[in-house]
Amino acid sequence: MIRFDQVTKRYASGHEALHELSLELGAGEMAFITGHSGAGKSTLLKLIALIERPTRGHVTVNGQNIGAMRQRSVPQHRRGIGMVFQDHRLLMDRSVFDNVALPLVIAGLAREEIGKRVRAALDKVGLLDRDRAAPITLSTGEQQRVGIARAIVAKPAVLIADEPTGNLDPQLSAEIMQLFAEFQQVGTTVVVASHDLPLVKRMGKRVIVLDHGRLLDDFRPGAL
Amino acid sequence: MFGRKPTGNRLKPTTAPRPAERAAPRQRLGFSSWRDQHLYSLFSSLGRLVARPWATALTALVMGLALALPLLFLVLLNNARSLSGGWQDAREITVFMQPASDDAAAAALAQKLSARADVVAVKRKTPQEGLDEFRAMSGFADALDVLKYNPLPNVLIVTPREPARGQDPAVLAALKAESGVDLVQYDASWRRRLGAILELAQRGVFVLAGLLGLATLLVVGNTVRMDIQARAEEIAVMQLIGASPGFVRRPFLYTGIWYGLFAGAFALIAVFAVQFALSGPVGQLLDSYDHRFVLQGLNPLAAASVPFVSAALGWLGAMLATARHLAEGHPE
Repeated sequence: MIRFDQVTKRYASGHEALHELSLELGAGEMAFITGHSGAGKSTLLKLIALIERPTRGHVTVNGQNIGAMRQRSVPQHRRGIGMVFQDHRLLMDRSVFDNVALPLVIAGLAREEIGKRVRAALDKVGLLDRDRAAPITLSTGEQQRVGIARAIVAKPAVLIADEPTGNLDPQLSAEIMQLFAEFQQVGTTVVVASHDLPLVKRMGKRVIVLDHGRLLDDFRPGAL
Repeated sequence: MFGRKPTGNRLKPTTAPRPAERAAPRQRLGFSSWRDQHLYSLFSSLGRLVARPWATALTALVMGLALALPLLFLVLLNNARSLSGGWQDAREITVFMQPASDDAAAAALAQKLSARADVVAVKRKTPQEGLDEFRAMSGFADALDVLKYNPLPNVLIVTPREPARGQDPAVLAALKAESGVDLVQYDASWRRRLGAILELAQRGVFVLAGLLGLATLLVVGNTVRMDIQARAEEIAVMQLIGASPGFVRRPFLYTGIWYGLFAGAFALIAVFAVQFALSGPVGQLLDSYDHRFVLQGLNPLAAASVPFVSAALGWLGAMLATARHLAEGHPE
């Protein structure tokens, strides 16, 4: 599903975030990306979502070499990827429902279909009764779950999350991670960047450890 | 954060989606969703403008005044033109013969002039005809009776062929050289001068309209630019979740169109208000002109086109701002 082939990413500042990184994730696989801050976790996710393009090497998503993708095809590519952010990045001037509906509105779905799918997504994250609420009135954990509902409402093949539990207490963090694991169970490829090593280990999934942009370790489930 | 109850039980188990559902929405937008998206942008942009009425009104007022000024000048110019229009046909040359010359000399000259290719018509008025006309028009009939002789000369009214623009007809010079001619009066020279002044004024109005149109573009563009900056986070999120550049741009374009429509309405109100305020005194002035001249308001066609033109200006200003300030696909 996702393939990195000798990928190097050097930013305009000269900082080399990834160095000749190669790895592969199968469809429906779940992996944690971990490592010290600045190890290249976020850059790896940004390359998948085409927020950045590789300096050298190939990034392949769903059989497509996305490094060569034309700029006008990027929105279409991103619609196939659900993104969860550390600070959830909800639009505070809109209701929970409207936030979750946004990817479907962008994709141009019919209104009735949008309503149905948004309610299903909110139900999945346990916030169906808060659909009219303003995001600001929700707790941090609830806000993050709205962010997750928004990421999965369009049923993307790939779900990526950058430090999704960075602002949450251990209890909430475990719940959120469990939620990601559930999406993997229904066939979504899930990539989560996290520096919360104890939590990552408890999940029993594949763990990719980066160090200064290089692959340091790649634990497979069962090897732990 | 603390004392929170376990919430894991709120997370419902997910069910496996059917393969057909899994496909990312790649289908072409149907007409109804296209319409939904546009209606959504149309009304959400209006909602944003109405939510801060003072800022919106201020922007629309500045734009509206900038549009009203050239419109008012246009009305003024059109009235000046229709006022001068009464004299547009004054291209006859009036030739006063010397009092000493007799009817035969005048008739001979008239015949000679009629033969010229650049003369359309020659009308001769004898001193007697002139006196009768004067008697009928001036109301000095009794006073004229006192005169022992007719002081009026023979008069020829020559209608030349329309000369080339800005030139005196050739016959004018020929007439001045003719012996027996006392005075040649040609009204068209000053009429032409007035025409040139009006032409210049019209050009001035167009230049002014162009400059003020540019100003409205900048006003809209700058307002939309600030709007874009204020909504940078929202734009970044939309781009991250796959919004096309068109989708991100659309609400701002509608914002520009709304500003344009409001400004057009303000401009029309301003023009009609000025017309109304001036109609009283101008009416009195016109009464003294025996109603030979009517005040013309803004031409209905021009008035009807104002909202369209101003909406187009608003759209264009927003387009320029979005092209400049929405970095496509680079949300971070």
